[in-house]
Amino acid sequence: MLRKLLVAVPLAAAMAGPASAGPSDDPAAVLQALIDSTSSYYLTQSEQNLMMMPDNPALWSLEEGEALFKTPRGPKNVSLEGCDFGKGPGVLEGAYVELPRYFKDTGKVMDLGNRLIHCMKTLQGFPADDPAVKEIHGSKSDHMKLQTYIAAQSNGMPWNPPMDHPLEKAMRDAGEVVFYRRSGPFDFNCAACHGEPGKRVRASVLPYAQDPKEWTKAISWPAFRVGQDNTRSSQHRLRECIWQMRYPPIVAGSDLSIALLSYWTELARGQPAIIPDMKR
Amino acid sequence: MFDTKIRVAAACAALALAGTYATAADVDYTKMTPQELAEYLIFEAKGYKFDAQVQTEGATAKDRLVQDELQKVCTETRNKPSPEQAAKISAAARESIKYPEGDIKLGDWKKGRELAWSGFGYRLDPNFDDHKKSAPGANCYNCHEFAGDRQGGTIGPSLRNYGKLRGTEQPVLKLAYGIIYNAHSMFPCTRMPRQGAKGLLTEAQILDVMAYLFDPESPVNKE
Ligand code: HEC
Ligand code: HEC
Repeated sequence: MLRKLLVAVPLAAAMAGPASAGPSDDPAAVLQALIDSTSSYYLTQSEQNLMMMPDNPALWSLEEGEALFKTPRGPKNVSLEGCDFGKGPGVLEGAYVELPRYFKDTGKVMDLGNRLIHCMKTLQGFPADDPAVKEIHGSKSDHMKLQTYIAAQSNGMPWNPPMDHPLEKAMRDAGEVVFYRRSGPFDFNCAACHGEPGKRVRASVLPYAQDPKEWTKAISWPAFRVGQDNTRSSQHRLRECIWQMRYPPIVAGSDLSIALLSYWTELARGQPAIIPDMKR
Repeated sequence: MFDTKIRVAAACAALALAGTYATAADVDYTKMTPQELAEYLIFEAKGYKFDAQVQTEGATAKDRLVQDELQKVCTETRNKPSPEQAAKISAAARESIKYPEGDIKLGDWKKGRELAWSGFGYRLDPNFDDHKKSAPGANCYNCHEFAGDRQGGTIGPSLRNYGKLRGTEQPVLKLAYGIIYNAHSMFPCTRMPRQGAKGLLTEAQILDVMAYLFDPESPVNKE
């Protein structure tokens, strides 16, 4: 099942990619190659993770996502195969590692979640309050299934968010400001916990934002969160860290969230995506 | 930074006058500096749920995103203030500290241990910490190691044998009280929260936490 779905890896990416990008049909192999290339505490703690990856429950999300993607749905009864994720209608290979990006048709920088919502509404005709559009968290949501399927078509490819459009740069740069902006009752910013290598919060080893090899694993979502028994997205991880920071909840899909995701993807540029991943 | 705010505010005011709702589409992000855009995304483009319930009476969720002077300087310098800025920060922090009257008397190390190990408190939606059900903790263990019985974090230095190594003379206790009350007094732009200065811990709670650090009977000093 896994092989069939993930086999499509462009040679170009494999050849042009960094030395750490190994055989890319299997997320575990991508992770293994990363681990072999570094002594990072965050990555080398992943032994258990690696052993469980062949049975990653996110693979079910992926499989269900493929079916959902190809099935004609919504009031207009069309599939999502006509949706443009940035590389042309229906092109999924390598699309996720180039998100967030600017979309001409909306004039906005969008992440995968926002783009899916856009296509569900415009292409399939779903109203904004339909559960398919609105429910974005949890393995049972259409979103997590679709996102896992779509994102997995970039497994093993280097993160390469485009910076050709001025809005893409503006969002990334604002995201950097937000990443370092201290506030809240505890004076936290993201760098409080991700600003130094090899640190822990309690027993949790923290990924260091300035180490692209660590950071690619950190931002490789969707991933199955073992502790939560659910497939989770980038937006969900963001929400959790913001909650720990004692901030008000971030609005998923807001431009603020897209700016943060633009910067965090920039930080992993060139390193291979591991999708679907597993996390604690 | 200051005039940044004014400019963004002016832009928003102009939009409001024109009767337009200030959504993302109405303003040109590429004409703003990264700082202006960040402030705009937080405060105008509704990046956070400002109507979220908070624990503190009379405060709003939005207040938590408004930076005070210290947060601004530490943000702008990425926690590396110039010597002049650092001197100002530590002076202001020393000024903020309210010491107990008379000598510092250590509290109850057992209560202090519980506080130090509790991460409960001040978190908002989607999993609101209800302070009426349970009092907020002090969060120390997220960043510090105290004793061998439980694994603490490593963002801050290990505090194992803290009292054993330093003794319990008044000047030593006064220094530690000051650090817990407002660590910027000693370490300008530290990542350690201002537990006393921000009203996160009461005087009695700080003295309990200090007992955990200094009491010869505390597990911290029993290794
Ligand atoms: C108070 C500490 C703290 C702050 C502040 C914080 N994080 Fe985290 N972050 C964590 C912890 C703990 C984990 C989970 C690490 C683990 O268990 O593997 C984590 C995990 C992550 C991960 C994914 C890695 C994983 O294994 O789940 C990303 C990406 C991330 N944080 C980004 C951010 C961003 C962006 C911000 C600021 C908006 C932020 N964090 C602020 C503590 C924090
Ligand atoms: C978010 C992280 C964080 C939290 C939470 C935190 N600290 Fe700290 N603490 C630090 C850091 C970092 C330092 C080192 C100072 C520096 O260089 O910034 C420090 C320093 C200290 C010191 C001085 C150590 C020395 O060298 O003498 C003491 C004492 C201390 N912390 C106690 C506490 C106690 C007690 C609590 C809880 C009430 C606490 N800390 C909560 C991060 C933290």
